[in-house]
Amino acid sequence: MSETASTETGFFAEEMTISVGPQHPSTHGVLRFVVKTDGEVISEAIPDVGYLHRSIEKIGEKVTYHGYVPYTDRADYLAAMFANQAFCLAAEKLAGTEVTRRGEFCRVIACELNRLASHLISVGTFGQDIGAMTPFVHALRERESINNLMEEICGARLTYNYIRIGGVGYDILPETLTRIAEFLDHFTPIVEEFNRLLSGNKIFIERLAGVAVVSKEDALSYNLVGPNLRGSGIKWDIRRDIPYSVYPELDFEVPVGTAQVGSLGDSYDRFWVRIREMQESVKILYQCLKMLPKGPAIAKVPKKFRPPAGECYARVEAPRGDMGFYVVSDGSEYPYRVRIRTGSYTAMSIIDKLSKGIMVADLIALIGSLDVDAPEIDR
Amino acid sequence: MGVVASYLNNIKDAVSSTFEGMSITFSHLMRKPMTIQYPDKIPVPIQDTLPHRYRGILEVDMDICTGCLACERDCPITCITIGIDMNKETKQRYFTHFDIDICKCMYCGLCSESCPTGAIRHSSEFEGASYNPAGLVRHFAPQAVNLYKPKKGGETEPKLITKVDIGQAYMDEFATPDGGAAEEK
Amino acid sequence: MKDGAFAGVPPQVVYAIGMVLTALVVLSVFVAPLAGVTSWLERRVWARMQSRVGPNRVGPQGILQWLADGIKNIMKEDIIPTAADQKLFPLAPYVVFMGFLCSFVVIPFGANLIVADLNIGIFYLLAVTSLVVVGILMAGWSSNNKWSLLGGMRSAAQIVSYEIPAGLSVLTIVFLAGTLSMQGIIKAQGWGPWDWFMFHNPFTFCTFFLFFTAALAEGNRTPFDIPEAESELVAGYVTEYSGMRFLFFFFAEWGNLYVIGAVATTLFMGGWQVPPVTDNPVLLAILQFVTFFLKAYFWVFVAMWIRATLPRVRVDQLMALCWKYMVPLSFICMLGTIGFMFMDENGRRIFGALTLGFAIATIINFFRRVGFQFRSAKPEFYWKPQI
Repeated sequence: MSETASTETGFFAEEMTISVGPQHPSTHGVLRFVVKTDGEVISEAIPDVGYLHRSIEKIGEKVTYHGYVPYTDRADYLAAMFANQAFCLAAEKLAGTEVTRRGEFCRVIACELNRLASHLISVGTFGQDIGAMTPFVHALRERESINNLMEEICGARLTYNYIRIGGVGYDILPETLTRIAEFLDHFTPIVEEFNRLLSGNKIFIERLAGVAVVSKEDALSYNLVGPNLRGSGIKWDIRRDIPYSVYPELDFEVPVGTAQVGSLGDSYDRFWVRIREMQESVKILYQCLKMLPKGPAIAKVPKKFRPPAGECYARVEAPRGDMGFYVVSDGSEYPYRVRIRTGSYTAMSIIDKLSKGIMVADLIALIGSLDVDAPEIDR
Repeated sequence: MGVVASYLNNIKDAVSSTFEGMSITFSHLMRKPMTIQYPDKIPVPIQDTLPHRYRGILEVDMDICTGCLACERDCPITCITIGIDMNKETKQRYFTHFDIDICKCMYCGLCSESCPTGAIRHSSEFEGASYNPAGLVRHFAPQAVNLYKPKKGGETEPKLITKVDIGQAYMDEFATPDGGAAEEK
Repeated sequence: MKDGAFAGVPPQVVYAIGMVLTALVVLSVFVAPLAGVTSWLERRVWARMQSRVGPNRVGPQGILQWLADGIKNIMKEDIIPTAADQKLFPLAPYVVFMGFLCSFVVIPFGANLIVADLNIGIFYLLAVTSLVVVGILMAGWSSNNKWSLLGGMRSAAQIVSYEIPAGLSVLTIVFLAGTLSMQGIIKAQGWGPWDWFMFHNPFTFCTFFLFFTAALAEGNRTPFDIPEAESELVAGYVTEYSGMRFLFFFFAEWGNLYVIGAVATTLFMGGWQVPPVTDNPVLLAILQFVTFFLKAYFWVFVAMWIRATLPRVRVDQLMALCWKYMVPLSFICMLGTIGFMFMDENGRRIFGALTLGFAIATIINFFRRVGFQFRSAKPEFYWKPQI
């Protein structure tokens, strides 16, 4: 224990070094923070990652392209579709494969449903960390309906292996489309009820307003992405700025933080951006359901997929930010190198800077508002 | 005056948002819980309520397995081990072993996509817990099983016709470059 | 007692032994099942508010869940960390338990159903519930764990701070009633809502809510449950406890919920007063007991309801809430009530009626709001409590 003497008042304040995690109910996944605090105010919080490292990037060199797609699911199991899509985009760019139109729309439907599920978990666990346990279970209840829909579409609830090179693995049947529409009709008032229960709650607002403010310069220089970046007021969304798939044809807004309560870029802004993104995803889904064309859902792709030698970097807008897959091919049927860039890994770097001078309870709010996710950090 | 106004505003906000939150939770008291009380208080077994495409534990119909080893090759996690031998006198090839390690299996479905007859499929079974690790390896060829030879012009034996049809129906679920499941319906 | 079993023993000793035995019986037969059933009720209510089911297997509708939990915890290994203080660590849960148990002495269940009608009734209760602070500090410090220490100190600060608004609210009622004795306070009220102290004048209405909030904070209930906040400090001051010792803390918390409800009923809602429907003393006693029980349990339900709804308040905000909001408001309400005591009875009755009208309008508005939630979410309606 180090000692810092406060000379003005003549009191001794001892600093404790505490480990938050790795077994802790509210570090999202297996994370550890070495926190130096004098009891309530933190002077330093250093993240310690690696508890969930599964060598997914190394495994990419051992399996074929088709066989690697299920592994990408596990890179962030709460947003599995996006990792699938990013890898398939990279492989398709390397081989020059054209994705069918119906396949593109099926991809967008699946991805936006997955975005809803991931954001529900994110805001639910965020509320749980702040102490509101009921909105968490309500969010999980809605996520269960989404899981049921995904189960109908592709057979799995969490690790989908749905988006394949050239399109999607299973076609979406008309009765599933009807059920998706029913779910969306049911879901829209639920988000508003969630807002009335949690987002409008005075205690919740007081906990988050002005806590862990990320300024625009900090957000850019620390390379934050996704809702963390948009919460600080910067309008950057891969779907809009580096468009891929059929997003240019869809009409949706990109929500940014507006300092609704407290300052621009505080925890509440990031939370509010996620809620608004859920509502925008519902809009996108309605449009896709109307615009879904007929045709094959997957293009013709050889069984032994051998893209020509080269390298490619594909980015998608995952719920936790910009997920990028850098694939290097040497002409054989196994990739030479797969590198995954995730938003949560870079978000960890800003935690030490933001945590100076805040309280332990605010550290938990900060981690929850950044929506860091251990599988994404450690891969 | 601003201080007093914000003070009173704080109190008013706290009371009104608490009131609103309490009305929502009170309304939930009178809604149906969404818990499925598995395994006893359910009307039908869960396996029957799962969707058609559910990727449960793998099962192999050895009667229509041709021994092409496509599933063993395509599995990204090498959980399928197949051994084929030939009987020297009758020149009949047979399986010595066909083992699937269901705790290694990722339930990705790549093996069932590549099967030519649809012999290896995902069932809707998910209760695979076992008391020892050996129980997690499914042996589909405990005794020698002959390989299946698909006949040109369709299958003629009545027992095998149903099996071939079931396998083919499973294969039709996957999206294909020339159409896909939705087009036929 | 010249002969027989107690020959030669001085009568005071016999009476003392008899009292201790009676207290033991009362505790195990009344208090333990009470705390247990409260825990079951909390889990069921909480679960239904979250679209879940809650415990419904052990006994009819799961009502014996607490018994199963208790038996399981007793059979667990008793782990005392070697670095913990060997004498204080096992003692802490019992001090906490004692703090809440002693308060049952003055809870008035009926006109004659009170263990001891002390003439310092409510004062004794406030004093004795502060023993809980000693127990919690003991638990936090003797665990020899930084997290527990943090939790224990926070909890001590919280409980001691919230004694003030609670005490001031009680003082307001004592002014109105003119006595500290619990039965005296009840007898100063009537059986109908217009005679309760809660609707006596607008200031006592506010005092009630201040008291209830302060009592929740003293009982470490959400939104003030930072000492036990799982997501922040693992489990606060109970981190190192396991088995039955762990359960004792929660036993004390659930039992304390009932004490909060009981005190709120006594001070503000007329206690066991019932309309004079019968002269039969036994029937009257039963009626009074049931009325008191139901009124206290209603507030227990409200405390559980609030726990399911609200997030947690941060420690500095908690202190700010206490010192900046609740203490000044308590003083204002006290002075306001004193002012109303000088008003003549008819004028005061008008204000009382206005307060009662306001409360009824709020309740009606509340149910209209619940109807709105139903209309917007359109869920499957299922009002039955059993499932």
